[in-house]
Amino acid sequence: MNITASRPRRSGRRAGALAATLALMLGAAACTSPGASGAGSTGGGDPQSGGAITVLLDAGFSGGWPTGLDPATSSSVGANMGQNSAIFGGLFRIEAAEDGSDAEVVPDQAESYEYSEDGLTLTVTLREGIEFSDGTPLDARAVLWNWIRALSSGSVSAPRLSLDLERETPELEQAFLDELFAALPEDVDRDLVMQRLGAIVAVDDRTLEIHLAAVNGALVNSLPGTNMNFIASPTAYAELGAEEFAEKPVAAGPFVVVKNSLSDRLELERNPNYFKEGQPYLDGLTFQSVAGDQVAYQTLQSGQGDAIEGLSSVTLIGQAQGNPDVTVTPGAPTSPYVVQLNTRKPPFDDRRAREAIYYATDFGAINEGLFNGEGDMSQSFTASGGLFWEPEVAGYREYDPEKAAELVDELGGLTVELGTTDIVTARSVTTALQQQWGEAGIDVAIEAKPLGDVITKFTSGDWESMLQTAGAWEPAAGIGVDVRFGSTSPYSGTPLPEGASTSADALERGLRTELDDVLASAVATIDQDERRVRYQEAAKIISDEAYGPFGMAFSPAQVARAGVHGPGLTTPIPALAVNTAVLYDEVWVEQ
Amino acid sequence: MTVETVAERPARTRGALGRAAASPLARLVARRVLIAIPLLLAISVLVFALLEAMPGDPARNQAGMDASEEEVAALRAQMGLDRPAVERYLGWLLGALGGDLGRSSVSGQTVSSMLAERMPVTLEIVLLAFIVSLAVALPVALMAARKPGGLFDRAVMVSSMTLLAIPNYVLALLLVLVFAVLLRSLPAIGYVPLADGLLPNLRSVTLPVLALSIPLACFYARFLRGDLVEQINTADYVETARAKGLGPWRVLWVHAFRNSSFGLLTLVGLNIGVLVGGTVIIEQIFAMPGMGTMMLQGAMSRDVAVVQACVFIFAAVAVFANLFVDVMYAVLDPRIRYGSH
Repeated sequence: MNITASRPRRSGRRAGALAATLALMLGAAACTSPGASGAGSTGGGDPQSGGAITVLLDAGFSGGWPTGLDPATSSSVGANMGQNSAIFGGLFRIEAAEDGSDAEVVPDQAESYEYSEDGLTLTVTLREGIEFSDGTPLDARAVLWNWIRALSSGSVSAPRLSLDLERETPELEQAFLDELFAALPEDVDRDLVMQRLGAIVAVDDRTLEIHLAAVNGALVNSLPGTNMNFIASPTAYAELGAEEFAEKPVAAGPFVVVKNSLSDRLELERNPNYFKEGQPYLDGLTFQSVAGDQVAYQTLQSGQGDAIEGLSSVTLIGQAQGNPDVTVTPGAPTSPYVVQLNTRKPPFDDRRAREAIYYATDFGAINEGLFNGEGDMSQSFTASGGLFWEPEVAGYREYDPEKAAELVDELGGLTVELGTTDIVTARSVTTALQQQWGEAGIDVAIEAKPLGDVITKFTSGDWESMLQTAGAWEPAAGIGVDVRFGSTSPYSGTPLPEGASTSADALERGLRTELDDVLASAVATIDQDERRVRYQEAAKIISDEAYGPFGMAFSPAQVARAGVHGPGLTTPIPALAVNTAVLYDEVWVEQ
Repeated sequence: MTVETVAERPARTRGALGRAAASPLARLVARRVLIAIPLLLAISVLVFALLEAMPGDPARNQAGMDASEEEVAALRAQMGLDRPAVERYLGWLLGALGGDLGRSSVSGQTVSSMLAERMPVTLEIVLLAFIVSLAVALPVALMAARKPGGLFDRAVMVSSMTLLAIPNYVLALLLVLVFAVLLRSLPAIGYVPLADGLLPNLRSVTLPVLALSIPLACFYARFLRGDLVEQINTADYVETARAKGLGPWRVLWVHAFRNSSFGLLTLVGLNIGVLVGGTVIIEQIFAMPGMGTMMLQGAMSRDVAVVQACVFIFAAVAVFANLFVDVMYAVLDPRIRYGSH
């Protein structure tokens, strides 16, 4: 039996209901704050066509697109979801109910998808008649060209696909191969490309098959956050060349690029060839990079900007909620804070030390103190906006300073280095933790470093504890639970498999821990209910073994001037990775 | 009429050059330029060494957390980071000497083309800030020095001290709050090129220029006012000028100011480096696509070629500004030219 879906099967109804309740509570809280307006509601009546808006992006994150906008070579596809979805649209997109609940990945430029009975083949059918803005067809041939480039051009935004590379490569037109290889790096592994062309096949003009070596139940959920979702015109690439194409890619999304100054300003105008009748509503859309939240908010107030994607300063969000001229939409929370504990070296190789951290940590108080209580509490690796959310895990060790102090006494004292990424919010949380842990007799040294240095620290293995955010909407995508807790991930502090000396050794010998097996089984099925059960097991193991206490998930808010409406902007959509994917083809302004 | 033959010209040129070479001013310039070259070279080595010494791996930083070791290694090779540091530095230096500043390891663009796009923005802001600060500081200082302790003088001293105490970025945000948010008279961010019209261009640079020039103007005004007051109170030549029956303005403007201008000149030279450095923050706040923003983005992504080029140019501007000041000193004061001072 084939499982056919124009939409994936809904899952997590309980989580959805809870998410809806919490989102409503958050929405209600926002509405009770003075002057809050429009949070959680598009409002404003029927969409109107016309007008243009400028969206302000933080230069330190989504406001940087230094490697250009060719998805195959860009190093910041995930951060630039707004720009990419505006230019390329997408084969798939994530949609949610008005309150951010019941989010699901649905076909967009694709018409449907279907898993084979064994789960090893994903068939994607494209909508009929879609054209790129240069008038050439967005057909299976174009998608194949894009997918092979996405996987072979060195972008770090390519998905990890375990393709069946043993399949025979079908006969392909020489013209297609020439066009493809001309668009790939000179030093590309040609044999591997040919193998990939055996695993990814254009069956006819509208149908593609992806043949996998192992079942991947998270594949479709992951795709919208990767470069494989964004399909560009091969003809335009051949005409423009790599450099100009990266600056002004040609695609079939709602908008076309007019002017692009890298990591500074991107000006777009309506694509008259867009396949959805009457959309996009906007005539023009500009993305402007600005230096941080304060500048973004002032620019919005000055009238030079119409919306801010991802305002994260709690103080400014509070100010904005009191401003009757703007709507503030809290993001659907997906990624809770977690204190990862490195079990591979002292002091956290001793389970009692890890338990002491659990008992000494009061994330609830930090949520109240630093996030005005608006963070979404979690005991596992996703929050209410994410898939497979478990608000409570049986046996989870809650705040109990006396127990913590007892354990510290038993250990004869506990000295801990707590690392984090050097951003204001994370520093504030570590400072609060330092104080809480200090009350239990734990001596804490905070080490806040730039992200690159934190990554180096992780990969060196020379760390004790790290405050990070965990998970994503789909736990198996992005910096998901495997990255934080899989034993062979360079960013994990969970124990190595028995008998393994290093992660590399474990990988080479195929050694795994119980948690590794559970996490792998959570992906190795397309049955979403089965996946939920597996992730519950994973959450229980992490909790029982005290690998890291979880805290609040706080998502940045979208801020828009009154009169601007649209999904993802004035209603929440869970972030696939970090950023909410605004559906810009549905954004409109009151005329 | 003397007919100059072609054969005569080189000899005359040689003579002129020879005379110039022999002049103390030319020797001074030549000496300073010779000092500037190793200085700039040392700066380039220092910047390279500092970027090398920074913890973390630029390739890993760029690749992101979910990149595999193989992907990071490939990126490292692509960025040239697998070559020894000395080889990379010498490669950069040789390229730079030939006018090739390399390519950005992030965007792949040539650094020269990036600079060509961004340098005019920074130059415009810096030049305007420099002009505005002096245009404000000079009359204010002269008026304050005319009646030391008077109402105007005290107002200048208090307000300049207050403005100097405000950090640059806070001042920038305050300017945005007042002129862009409250009055809505000037844009909060963005740069309009001169090609799009003089007025839109000037409107777009007004706030960044004010943010840069206000502290500088306060600094210059306080310094010049203090120097003028000291000259007026203590210098013999001022007494002589007064004894000749010259009016206070004439004494101040013609005599005292000429002497005080030496100190101001030094200060201006020293501050050009500060002014150029200030653009890093100001351009970021006002979203100006200039060299400051380029350098900051380069530093954040550990883009060595970009940072190296920007720092080198900033340093060169500071070095040559000081050289210019030294030369101006020598032009204005022959004692310096002849090495007697």
